Formats: sequence, C-alpha cells, structure tokens
Amino acid sequence: MLQLFANALIAGSLAALIAGGLALVYGTLGVFNLALGQMVLVGGYATWWLYQIAGLSLVISIFGGLAAGALVSWLAFEVFIRPFYKLHRFLPLVTTIALSMMLDGCILLAFGERPKGILPGAKQMMEVAGARISVEQLIMITITVLGLVCFAHVLHATAIGRRIRAVVQHDHAAMSLGIPALTLHRIVFILSGVLAACGGIYMGIDTTLTPTIAFSITIKAYAAIIAGGKGNFWGAIFCAYLIALLEQLLVGVHWFGTFYVPAGYQQTVALLFIIVLLVVKPSGLFTSTSRTA
Amino acid sequence: MAQLILFVSAFTFLYLPTLLGYNLVFGKGKILHFGHGALGLVASYGLWTIFVQFHVPFLLSALFAFCIVTAAALLLAWLSLRLEPDGLGVMSIALHLAVLAVVLNWQSVTRGALGIPQIPRPDFMGDLPSFTLVVGIVGTLWAVGIWLLNRSSFGRALEALAEHPWHAGALGISRRRIHSIAFVIAGLGAFVSSIFFPMYLRLLSPSDYGFSAMIFYVLVVVAGGPGRVWSVVTAAFFLTFLREGIRFVRLPADMIGPAQLILFGLILFAAVWWRRKSIFPPQREV
Repeated sequence: MLQLFANALIAGSLAALIAGGLALVYGTLGVFNLALGQMVLVGGYATWWLYQIAGLSLVISIFGGLAAGALVSWLAFEVFIRPFYKLHRFLPLVTTIALSMMLDGCILLAFGERPKGILPGAKQMMEVAGARISVEQLIMITITVLGLVCFAHVLHATAIGRRIRAVVQHDHAAMSLGIPALTLHRIVFILSGVLAACGGIYMGIDTTLTPTIAFSITIKAYAAIIAGGKGNFWGAIFCAYLIALLEQLLVGVHWFGTFYVPAGYQQTVALLFIIVLLVVKPSGLFTSTSRTA
Repeated sequence: MAQLILFVSAFTFLYLPTLLGYNLVFGKGKILHFGHGALGLVASYGLWTIFVQFHVPFLLSALFAFCIVTAAALLLAWLSLRLEPDGLGVMSIALHLAVLAVVLNWQSVTRGALGIPQIPRPDFMGDLPSFTLVVGIVGTLWAVGIWLLNRSSFGRALEALAEHPWHAGALGISRRRIHSIAFVIAGLGAFVSSIFFPMYLRLLSPSDYGFSAMIFYVLVVVAGGPGRVWSVVTAAFFLTFLREGIRFVRLPADMIGPAQLILFGLILFAAVWWRRKSIFPPQREV
C-alpha cells in the first residue's frame, strides 16, 4: 500500500506541476489551452536533444528545455490566444487544438514515434518508509514541493502575487488601479508553459517521452483544474494528487480479494470519477467566489 | 483520378450524417461538445460487435446499437445542461477517451486494437461505384433533412438558445428538450455513418475513432461555417479530398501523417481566424 502512495506522489507531482500553471492561466485569462500536452513534450524533447544529441551537460540541457517551453508558450500566447480571447473566451479552445495538431506534426517529424528517455538505463533505487523509489524521483518530488512552496510565497506575499490575484478576481477593476493586466496575462501564460516544460523534463528523466501521450496529459490536467474548482490554484494541485492516487489505487488494489483492474483502465476510471464528481458538484470541489462591487 | 474522386465522394457521403449531426450541436447550437467521436464508437461497436462476434441478426444488432447510442447522446445532453460550457468541452473529450480505452482494453469482446475484421457488405454495394451511389443517396437525404430541420421551429429554437438561453427560456423554449433532441439527432447521424464506414473498409478499427477523427469534425464544421449545411458539405468534400489526396504526394511514408497534421492545423487556424467573429458571435442587444 505504501508503494501505491509513493507512486501516486510521483505521478501526482508531475500532474500538479502542469495543472498548477494551468489553473492560474484559467483564473487570469479564463481560457483553456488544449496544446498543453504538446508544450510538456516540447520541454522534454528539447532537453533530450540538448543532452543526448548536442552533448551539453544535464543542467544546461534542463535550462534549455525550460527556455524552449517559455519560447513556445510565448509564441502560442501572441499568435493563438491574444488575438482571440477578448472576442470570445471559447475561441482559444479551438485555436489551441490547431496549435496542438501543428506541434504534434512537428514533434513527429523531428523526433519520430519511438520513445526517448533523457536518462536511459537503470535507475538507482532506494527504500523510503517501505516504498521503493529512485533517486531521480525523490529529487523531482522535492523540487516540485519546493517549487510549489516558492510559488505560494510569490502568490500570497509579494507585490506581483497580489497583482496576479487582483487580475484573477477582476481584471477590469485591476486595470483601473493601474495594474497592467495584459502583461500579467502574458507572464502567467509563459509561466504555465515553463511549468509544463518542467513536467516534460520530469517525465523524460523518470520514464520516456512519446508523441502520443500529449493529449492524455492535457485532459488529466484539465480534469484536475475543473474538479478542483476552476481557477483555484490549490484545488487544482489537490485534485492532481487525488487523481494520481485514484489511478494507483485502482490498478494496485486486489479488489474484494478477487480481481485486479487491468492497467489499461487506469486513466478511464479516474476520468469517469471526475465526470461523476462534476455531475454531483458542477462547480468543482473548491469553488472560489469572486468579489463584486 | 476518376477513382480518387469516386473514393473521396464515397468517404464524404458516408461521413455526412455524423458531420452534419455534429454541426447541429456544435455549429448551430454552439454547444461546446468535443465528445462526438464517443457516439461513433458506441454506435459502431454496438452494431458490429453484436452482429459479427455474437452472430445476432443485423436488424436486432442495429436496434441495440440505436438504443445505446441514443442513451449515450442523452447522457451527453444531460451533461451539457449540468456542466458549464468549457467544463463540458473538456469532460466530453474525457468521455470519448474513456470509451476508447474501454474498446481498446475489453479485448474478449472488441478484439482491442486489432479491431473487428470481415465486416460484411451487401452484394448490391459490392463495388466502389455502387457503394458510392448508395451512400450518396443516404448522405444527400440526410443533408436535406438537416437543412429542413435547421429552417424549422426546432432550428430557430436551437439558434435562440445558442444566442441567449435566458431570453429563449423566457419565450418558452425548453433548453432541456431542444438540447436532448439535438444530441439524439447527432447520435442518429453517428449511427448511420457507423453502419457504412466499417462496411466500406470491411474492418472496424478503433484507430478510426480516435481524437484525430474528432478534430476532423471540428475542422470541417469551422471551415464550412458553423451551423450552415451546404457549406459544411462543401468543406467536407474539400477537406476529405485534401486528406486523402495527400497520400498521393511523393513524401516518405513516415512524413505523410505529420504533414497532414500540420496542414490541417494550419487550415483550422486559418478558418478560426477567418470566422473569429461568427463562430461564437457576441449577443445582440436591443
């Protein structure tokens, strides 16, 4: 059972990184980005290329991967989001589908369909409280938790965090107080791209990268932010871990002492659970109410 | 070339019922629903699994498939009433992926990724010209039916709900009823297409019902003009020609798929840019 919790912590940390940035994007811009999974892959593949092909050091390659994520998300914002989201907030949902197709095509052309691992080979395993976990996974969980703590500090205890929260609550009111909402929208979107790229690097180091996984990453991240209460950063983080735990429990538990659920159903049942949850509570688990004048 | 045109026509006509059904929900009703592929999956597997794998008579299999696709359509209609639009958009994709995962993993019944081979085709549709003729008649009748429906009081009610649900409600239009009918018609379209599509290929493969198929529906509706019938039919012909025609371009085999993705992504983006003020038009004010 402890191993299942450890696995959930590993998968949940990856999902939390991606969903956290997205929740903030949804809160500030009110738009969905369906090319998110491809942005995850851009970060991972760029790091793989820099490390495995260009022969740079791992640290420089990781920074390169993060820069690639930032660059692609900035371009995505300028071309696929900004001209559309003020016309109707659902338009970017369709334009980012177009972006996801183009990025999928480019990734397939550049890297092919074969799985790619940033650090291939056997991982160094260790035992923590009865659960087996690799050193890389432990480092990544620690970095995720530290990153989230830093993010919480920036969001709740700094001037820029207060501005972001003001834009989340009411961007027009924030603009009337001199807060540059468009610049903050851009910054938050790029930040979400960097977090997504970070998730891709995490995935490339922990397991492998394949072009076909992009869409399921996107949907799981959105399931977390919708179930967590749209725009609620901490709700999204909580639900990312909850979904990961559900997936692990589902396939890892010997149900009623008689059967195991096949691994192929792992994602399905978690998604169906979220659908059921939303049918019961459409606003999500942690609804954040916005103040009105 | 004549063979290619015949092939593209057959493909377009057999796609028309599902495409125009989706156009009714997404294009006309502006319901942010991306789970239409799930209806196709439910209908196809409901029909052909029972018929081919369990040797149930065709009419009974069709009746079973029709019942389950109607139930799935009503479930989606209910979700559209219950969830916020963007929540429905993402959750309908999740539902599609969930159904696809069940099809891929329930191997004892669906044969998983291998699909179901030896789908029979009636003798009178044995060759391509006669098959094209039959699906041409069915597709045209379906398009005319949807066009008439669009001009009926139902079409106006769906449009009114898309523009302003509160005002439409105040005029006595029932959102529950109209949405349910729209989804059931879309399900029926998926059912009709799922009769002919595996019949044409003589194979029912889950890879034909992945999210890329769903993106193609969105692409056709957006490029053709959401809610319009004949321009969506034209877009379906053009885009099917492009999709199938690219196979004849001299590219290495592993480049065709990615090239298709990039090309269709560009077309979708250009179509949204072109129609950015009409896909989700702003509410009119008095």
